[in-house]
Amino acid sequence: MNDRPELFRGNRIFLSCIYWAFVLYVFVPLILMVIMGFKDSNFIGFPIRSWTLEWYTGVFADAEVISTFGYSVAIAVLSTLISVFVGTWIAVLLEGRKFFGRMAMFGLTVLPALVPGIISAIAFRIYARYLGIEPGMGAIIWAHAVHNVPFVVLVVMARLSTLPKSQIEAARDLGADPLISFIRITLPYLVPAILGASIFCLLLSFDDFVRSFFLGGYDPTLPVLIFAKLRSGMSPEINAIATVALVLTAAIGIWAERFTRRMNKDS
Amino acid sequence: MTDQTPLARIEGLSKHFGATVALDNLTLDIAQGEFVTFLGPSGCGKSTTLRILGGFERPTKGRVILDGEDVTNQPPERRNVNMVFQDYALFPHMTVAQNISFGLELKGMGKADIKRRSDEIMSFLELDAYAGRYPVQLSGGQRQRVALARALAPDPALLLLDEPLGALDAKLRGQVQQELKSIQRRTHKTFFFVTHDQEEALTMSDRIVVMNAGRVEQDGTPEELYFRPASRFVAEFIGETNFLSGRVRGVEGDKVVMDWEGTTITGKAPATLPDAGTPVTASVRLEKLGFHDTRPETGNAVQGRVVGKTFLGSRMAMQIAVGDKGDAMLKAYVDAETGQAVGNEPVWIGWEADNMAVLND
Repeated sequence: MNDRPELFRGNRIFLSCIYWAFVLYVFVPLILMVIMGFKDSNFIGFPIRSWTLEWYTGVFADAEVISTFGYSVAIAVLSTLISVFVGTWIAVLLEGRKFFGRMAMFGLTVLPALVPGIISAIAFRIYARYLGIEPGMGAIIWAHAVHNVPFVVLVVMARLSTLPKSQIEAARDLGADPLISFIRITLPYLVPAILGASIFCLLLSFDDFVRSFFLGGYDPTLPVLIFAKLRSGMSPEINAIATVALVLTAAIGIWAERFTRRMNKDS
Repeated sequence: MTDQTPLARIEGLSKHFGATVALDNLTLDIAQGEFVTFLGPSGCGKSTTLRILGGFERPTKGRVILDGEDVTNQPPERRNVNMVFQDYALFPHMTVAQNISFGLELKGMGKADIKRRSDEIMSFLELDAYAGRYPVQLSGGQRQRVALARALAPDPALLLLDEPLGALDAKLRGQVQQELKSIQRRTHKTFFFVTHDQEEALTMSDRIVVMNAGRVEQDGTPEELYFRPASRFVAEFIGETNFLSGRVRGVEGDKVVMDWEGTTITGKAPATLPDAGTPVTASVRLEKLGFHDTRPETGNAVQGRVVGKTFLGSRMAMQIAVGDKGDAMLKAYVDAETGQAVGNEPVWIGWEADNMAVLND
């Protein structure tokens, strides 16, 4: 421990108080939300007199919730496939040889990540109408895919920049042309980054409300459905849906983090 | 070798990086089965030559002929040349066996042939036990052997080695040097080795090309380079030596007689004979100097005082002050145990004319 500069000697207690206050601030709402999903009453709030699993069984029996969930997953998977393909391609292009305008291209690529969601959603909506694209699944996938490309580019470029030049030279030296060396050496090296970026894109898409709301047709995605249900009044059913979504996404996120960390360590 | 045509020929090779001249009109033949070492400080052009031979750089001028074919503009994948990289460049996601098979697969070999060849090379280099391991699971020495096996597997006409021992610790390096030399002998392959380590070059090579600032400084056997350096640069770069700076008195046959620190000494003449009266430098190795109680009857001799000593284990390096004012220094090796005392009594230092090389600067 002593090899780290003790910047905060004596402030330990104060700092840990701040830390725990932060943890409470973040997790208490989530814990409350989870607890309320088990309350045997139509109204959210204390006191809780009796407990039930009814809301959960209700969620899993609700055809609308199940199909909406499937719809959201399908959108997440398809938009992620597009983002990863396009993002990896751009990353390889930008990280390769130096060429004129490379920095400008990089800027243009990552800029969309900084545009506020509501603004890009409205822009997409207007543009989609102009192009004659109907609101619905295709439009949502398109918007999600475009929005997620910068994250893929950043993650894949970071990994690509650590690929030793000698790896590609060795492949060429042993008889691989540029395409074969890309497929057999570069791509396997990028796998951890591509997987990490994919998980991130899946979660971003699954979680997205603004773009899905503006570009959606008659079928809602899960966040849009939760929003619609909220308008007809808070009920523990929403807590149950949210809890299931929370557990799923957290599990995927934690697994992906550990998995990519292990893969990065191995190579 | 009945075949007198060289395996590889480098013709008038130049390489410029912007305003920097990395390689300046290099011409060289490499014979089949030779262990050639390119030796020089960093930036001398040795690595550039290697990369041009491998196909990773294109020369600004000149040609590379391999097996009678002009390969100057061929990409690396089309040349019958393989390379052992400085960082080994093993593919991390492939096992040892997969790494070694990679080049064979790309040669279009059948599965059975690939297996046979990679097994053969793995047992040759004693890697059998590691076939299923990944590079991260190997030690530095093992990785080095895998890199060598991978480069040898496709049976290249010429093997390029880019300072492949740099990453190994000193003890292992000595062992690997012997191993490399013996592998080269047993495979009869032509090795093109690049290093900045003169000791490495001396122990392994049949022939050493000393490079300096993009040009060949001297090209010869290790013995020639060590005992008959052509220039001050070579004498300084290879081994440790005494430089004696004086003035030319005259030339006698293949010997140069020069004035040095109030005495006259004789050494072997360089390629270009110096004019009388010009300043000149001669080089004599530390182990060629001997201590005498009286002036030796033959050869060069000078009187001096032993002013210091350095214990080196197997021997002792003595510092001797010579000359009228005692400000010229010589260094000589003596036996570490019997030694030579440090003191004020004058001693005679002698060496044969044949053991001193007069240099062209």
